[in-house]
Amino acid sequence: MKRSLTSILGLAAALVFPASAALAQAPAAPAAKEVIVWHAYRAEEKTAFEKVVAEYNKAAAGKGIKVTTLAVPYDAFADKISAAVPRGKGPDIFIYAQDRLGGWIAAGNTVEPIDFYLDKATKDRYIPTTLEAMTYRKQIFGLPLNYKVITLIYNKKLVTAPPKTSKELVKLAKSLTNKSAGRFGLAYAYSDFYYHACLMNGFGGGVFDAEFKPTLNRKENVKSLDLLLKWIDKEEILPAEPSSALITSLFNEGKAAMVFSGPWFLGEIAKGVDYGLAMLPTLNEADDKPMRPWMTVEGVYVAAPSKNKEAAFDFVKYVTDKPAGVIMALEGRQTPANKFVYEDSKVGADSILKAFRQQVDVAIPMPNLPEMTMVWSPATTAMNSIVKKSAKPKAAMAQAQQSVEKDIAGLRKK
Amino acid sequence: MESGSPSHRLRFGIGIGAGAAVAILLGHFLLGGALSNLAEQRETRQGIVTLRALSDLVSRTADGDGLRKAVTEFQKAYPELKSIRVVLLEGASLEASTDPADTGEWAAPRQLSRDEKKNEKPVFDLMQKIRGTVEANREEKTAKEELEIGRLADGSGFSLAGPLEKNGEVTGLVEIKRSSAAAATRPGWITTLLYIAVPILLLVGLSFGVGNKQIPLAICAAVLLIGTIWGYGVQSRSKINREGLAASDAVASTAKTGGERVQSILQGLGIQAEPALNPASWDSDLARRPRAVLTPDLKVDPAKAMSAFAGVGTAVTRATILLIILGVAIALFFGMGWAELFARTLRVHRTAYYYVTPAMVGMIILVFFPFAYGITLSFTDYNIYTTGKPLTEIFNGFQNYVEILTDFQIAKRSADGSWAFNYYNFYWTFFFTIVWTISNVTIGVTLGLILALVLNTKTLALKPIYRVLLVLPWAVPNYITALVWRGMFHQQYGVVNQAIQMFGGSPVSWSDTPFTSFLTALATNGWLSFPFMMVVSLGALQSIPADLYEAARVDGATRWQQFTSITLPSLKPALVPAIILSVVWTFNMFNIIYLVTAGQPAGSTEILITQAYKFAFEKYRYGYAAAYSTVIFGILLVYGVFQNRITKASEGI
Repeated sequence: MKRSLTSILGLAAALVFPASAALAQAPAAPAAKEVIVWHAYRAEEKTAFEKVVAEYNKAAAGKGIKVTTLAVPYDAFADKISAAVPRGKGPDIFIYAQDRLGGWIAAGNTVEPIDFYLDKATKDRYIPTTLEAMTYRKQIFGLPLNYKVITLIYNKKLVTAPPKTSKELVKLAKSLTNKSAGRFGLAYAYSDFYYHACLMNGFGGGVFDAEFKPTLNRKENVKSLDLLLKWIDKEEILPAEPSSALITSLFNEGKAAMVFSGPWFLGEIAKGVDYGLAMLPTLNEADDKPMRPWMTVEGVYVAAPSKNKEAAFDFVKYVTDKPAGVIMALEGRQTPANKFVYEDSKVGADSILKAFRQQVDVAIPMPNLPEMTMVWSPATTAMNSIVKKSAKPKAAMAQAQQSVEKDIAGLRKK
Repeated sequence: MESGSPSHRLRFGIGIGAGAAVAILLGHFLLGGALSNLAEQRETRQGIVTLRALSDLVSRTADGDGLRKAVTEFQKAYPELKSIRVVLLEGASLEASTDPADTGEWAAPRQLSRDEKKNEKPVFDLMQKIRGTVEANREEKTAKEELEIGRLADGSGFSLAGPLEKNGEVTGLVEIKRSSAAAATRPGWITTLLYIAVPILLLVGLSFGVGNKQIPLAICAAVLLIGTIWGYGVQSRSKINREGLAASDAVASTAKTGGERVQSILQGLGIQAEPALNPASWDSDLARRPRAVLTPDLKVDPAKAMSAFAGVGTAVTRATILLIILGVAIALFFGMGWAELFARTLRVHRTAYYYVTPAMVGMIILVFFPFAYGITLSFTDYNIYTTGKPLTEIFNGFQNYVEILTDFQIAKRSADGSWAFNYYNFYWTFFFTIVWTISNVTIGVTLGLILALVLNTKTLALKPIYRVLLVLPWAVPNYITALVWRGMFHQQYGVVNQAIQMFGGSPVSWSDTPFTSFLTALATNGWLSFPFMMVVSLGALQSIPADLYEAARVDGATRWQQFTSITLPSLKPALVPAIILSVVWTFNMFNIIYLVTAGQPAGSTEILITQAYKFAFEKYRYGYAAAYSTVIFGILLVYGVFQNRITKASEGI
């Protein structure tokens, strides 16, 4: 009883004192426009982002703008935005990948178009494909902050020179594979449609045509699947049922020499493993065109019902500028979409950031159409049945195409 | 009997008064709303005709001075327009404007202003939005609204904006601000009051004929109310029709004068109207689909104009019927003495109601509201495209249910003669769920019972340790267990396949076929569910008196006879509720399916609840998923009622 009483008192004191300190400071600053930012960053990414915000607040105190951040858990983020923002209960700014953008635009009153604010100089400072990811029907809805893209990650102990072409890749991987010992030259989540996209796009395939119609069954997609099956069955360089947990443990145990994965994988690599990054190889099977992974771009969006849009945009511009980008690259270990960030001497010297920057030049922004959300489930089903040989690539993709068309028709009834 | 309580006459007098007042007053406001809607619609239609006349004119002029001259002339011809703006996409420029604010340094042509004093972002965004919509409609063959209507901030009128098109490309935006003039005709109060007074007076008159008897009075009141409210409905409908036809006439004349004016402006500018103007097509909806009410020579086609009101007619009929039900219900509530009874109960049991209020409020907020909301959603087309729309707009009746329940395409023969199953079909999933539930419960009960019998052996050593060990699977969080089991079934690294290989078998890839995939989930859930059954059975076993067995032994019964005649019947009261519960749990066992099989392969091992989840959160068809969940609820409800019957019957024996 006594202990709980003191702890309550302590808690009360903790609540009151900072508040009173804030009260004492308040009259000094002019009536600040408060801009609230929702983001889903954690750990070092969060620290770096908050540092940028603190610097902005220092710089913008004269303009009377104060930015406050709120970290919202990633799993609930998109649904929270869909529910809160259109009803005017959400933040002024939010940060999220482009894959839900189209849905928010279609639903309306969620994302503010910002074309009008943008001059050429601002548009030119981003890597073009990242700005493309923020564009929906020729209109720009956000500014790109960071991108995430898949590259080749290899164990330096096992691989001295990363392969440049798919032939080299297969040759090298074969020499490093010993199936009975559970060792593989290459491991990646190939049955995951997102990962497979780097092969698919490499062949010139894709999910939608220029008129936004689904085209899962196009012949380039089938060709890319044929190559994947060749890698699995004929060359036998890939493990079965490649879940992300399995790939991580294989790589950490030195049982997988090369991995296709993105920045999220780097955090999972065990301390002792000496790894390097390289561009994904070119495809000899597709006229030496490069493998083109999908990239996700975290955009900074101004919420349509925000009362402080001008102030919000000021921050959006700041946070996607070079100085902010340098902080997030070096301290948050993120890969900024602002191309001038890579001219910074420290960023330029960082081999990891450099590798991602190189890879992004051939990457393709993941479609931001609302219809994209209909693609995942049928595409995953198709990938699984192809990998498990219960269907031929052509039949499986035709089935997926049919199912996506049906789902889209179900949504567009009106 | 008569003394103390008010007479039937008084009760029905109050009842019919209240019923008529509520129903007719509601009707009055509904009619008022409908009439002002009509007036607004008429103005909007006239506005659309004007806007489309203007866009037609502007698209025939060359950009620059010709365009500005045309706009000035148009403004002169239309005094009801407050202002006109023409904005071009190219360079985001204000090409022409008759807005008084756009003079002097702000005069057109100029770039749209980014200045803080005059932020023209909204008009730019509007232009982009309209361009996007027009292109989307063209590509996806949809009919989304291409014209944007908005109220003016001071309430003096409305603004209307539409695309400016040249050679089939959207090149800009044309916007008008129009003042609103016509006030809506309001329904008359005298008529309304008469409609309320007449049935009361008639009932008073009739009551002298029928006397102070409850049933005849009730019939009289009901008939009177039905007649009165129906009459009010008929009158309302004819009023609405009259107004609607008048609106079409007004629109026709707007289109006619518009055509003449545009023609003369074009002549003044020396432009040939090629192709000829078609004012009848200007009368369109917001998606620019022609209404086809006007004939090419600008006469109103009465049949078409009336058919435009067919929807209004049925709405009036529906509202009338609802009002009749409401009015009669109120009249009976008072007349039959139910109101008095209700008030008395509230008074007498006041304290009881106070006590249950907090719980009721909690239940309403936490249980009934979400439940009702879910059911409401199931009647709408709520999906990722329509989250911003009000539910009434996306109401689609029983369509979701029809789509779920009438899809019998479970399997079809593909071209090469093999059967292809459609695992997303409801009936497949339902069938699988039943198989899943029955097999799981059977395994759980059998294993649990056997282990309980073993543990119940008196002479068993180390019993407490076994007991703790056997309860462990139940104590570990089930999603951890699920992930562990999934790992054990991995094709290359899983312990199950390694064991098979140790004995010389070849590894099975468990998630390849529906049956093996089902086995993995079954093993996991069996592992999870036997401890519960074991604990329940063990408790019941220990409460069976030992002398029963002793007596049986004396009578020479075998072990098996003892088991079937003593043990099983004694276990029944404990086991039956446990089985009922575990059927419901297993039926909705989301975690195991979602984590272990994830529906693989191809969705064949989904159960109903995981399927509903996928519809909601992977396909974003919330309305459809709500209908799916409601169907699941219905199934469990039927099971519950059925089960209740059986248990009651078995208790009776």
